[in-house]
Amino acid sequence: MNGLGRILLVEDDPKDIDLTLRALAQYNLANEVVVVRDGEEALDYLFRRGDFATRGSENPAVLLLDLKLPQVDGLEVLQQIKSDETLKLIPVVVLTSSHEEKDVVASYKLGVNAYVVKPVDFHQFVEAIKELGVFWAVINEPPPGSMRNK
Amino acid sequence: MPTLLTRPPVQRYGLAVVSFAVALGTALWLNRFNVRDVEFPLFLLAIAISAWYAGTAPAILTMLLSSLAFNYFYTEPLYTFEVAWVDVPYFVVFVLFASLLTWFSAVRRRVEQRLLQSNDRLEGEVAERTRQAALLEQTAIEVRTLNQDLEARSRELEASNKELEAFAYSVSHDLRAPLRHMVGYAELLQKHESSIVDATGRDYMTSILDAAKRMGTLIDDLLAFSRIGRAETQNTTVNLELLLKEALNEIRQDTEGRNIVWRIGALPAVYGDRSMLRLALVNLLSNAVKFTRTRAQAEIEIGATDGTGKEVVVFIRDNGVGFNMKYVHKLFGVFQRLHRQEAFEGTGIGLATVQRIINRHGGTVWAEGLKDQGAVFYFSALKR
Repeated sequence: MNGLGRILLVEDDPKDIDLTLRALAQYNLANEVVVVRDGEEALDYLFRRGDFATRGSENPAVLLLDLKLPQVDGLEVLQQIKSDETLKLIPVVVLTSSHEEKDVVASYKLGVNAYVVKPVDFHQFVEAIKELGVFWAVINEPPPGSMRNK
Repeated sequence: MPTLLTRPPVQRYGLAVVSFAVALGTALWLNRFNVRDVEFPLFLLAIAISAWYAGTAPAILTMLLSSLAFNYFYTEPLYTFEVAWVDVPYFVVFVLFASLLTWFSAVRRRVEQRLLQSNDRLEGEVAERTRQAALLEQTAIEVRTLNQDLEARSRELEASNKELEAFAYSVSHDLRAPLRHMVGYAELLQKHESSIVDATGRDYMTSILDAAKRMGTLIDDLLAFSRIGRAETQNTTVNLELLLKEALNEIRQDTEGRNIVWRIGALPAVYGDRSMLRLALVNLLSNAVKFTRTRAQAEIEIGATDGTGKEVVVFIRDNGVGFNMKYVHKLFGVFQRLHRQEAFEGTGIGLATVQRIINRHGGTVWAEGLKDQGAVFYFSALKR
């Protein structure tokens, strides 16, 4: 679990993880991904605690964050990231099933960089994931201290 | 408290006679010890007592008796009722003095009587006020109880609203995920079709995909519908002509490649929630576009007429497939459809949403139609 990745995917649903990785694989981005399964693990990764105590100090270039997560939910993860001096530089993209306005509003209030609703249609889903991956992991110039292109 | 004046006349006149008798007796008794000239004040005292305790008429009786006694016992010639001329002024003074006494007493009595009456009235009023205060207090208690009931009810409502919100939230999050997975894996399977599925299998997969996508649309529409009920309305003045342009823009995808004649009349400004009203317009317009699909040339007319009072009625008329008026009551129900899915796709939530929006604005929505002769949808809104 100590692998390096430019994309940190926080997702609890194994099927969503599988489909997301497949979508990214079509654009050779699957190797760039570190997957954590809940908010607690995401915070452990970001703050280099527990299982991730020994990982390198670079931050991921982007964080793909589901909102509905076991234990610590996505909004809380977002809140903790955005109130930490170094972590708040990481671009965070909420990637969720929820259209709910209150989720959108809460996310933006906490300083999210983008909010994407997972489309039901697989083509659209693949497109969305691809564009997210390409934009944030390749096109976007990440803040200093992030993992660079190999 | 019974006053002497309300006592029977026998008692009152009795008192008059007795007081006179006591005065006369005392005077005669004192005369024996050569005490002179006490009769005059004694008689006046008797008259005063009668006037005070028994009233005016008994006092006059005492006065008469005193005059007679005075005449008989104390004026020359003694022991007769004859009156010498020299004594007349003396009598007059006595009578005047006695009358004055009686009169004062009567006036005093009257004043006291009035005081008593007003006292009674005051007491009555106080009792009435006390009763009213008690009633008020009781009402206050009732109001308090009602308020508590209301508060409890409102808490219950709030709780069930929260539950409903949590439910919608869960639907929004959790129901869509498995759908996405179904669609995703079905499509991945399609990519491998050559090795494992034949033409029939491909059809099956298309059906699975269609069904899943349809369910996705249903969930989205249902969530949008429930959001209208929960969302706060933000009312402003809404320019309907501008709103119509936006709505037409939004459904452009459906009108592309179609031959549609639009007749758009003047539309007023109305008062309401802009985004909700736009959704209502979009739904009505896309219905009109959808159900005129079978026409070589579709005609859609949008206009407004004056309604009752401050209302305006907006109508959308089309020359589409219409509907049977027998089923008009089903038109605005959730999940109610009057056409088969393969003829006209849809979830049956569009018009229910329109109705909910218009109702939340205090307006009504209704429709007229004829099978194969087109339909007209009307809604009323507050004029601005």
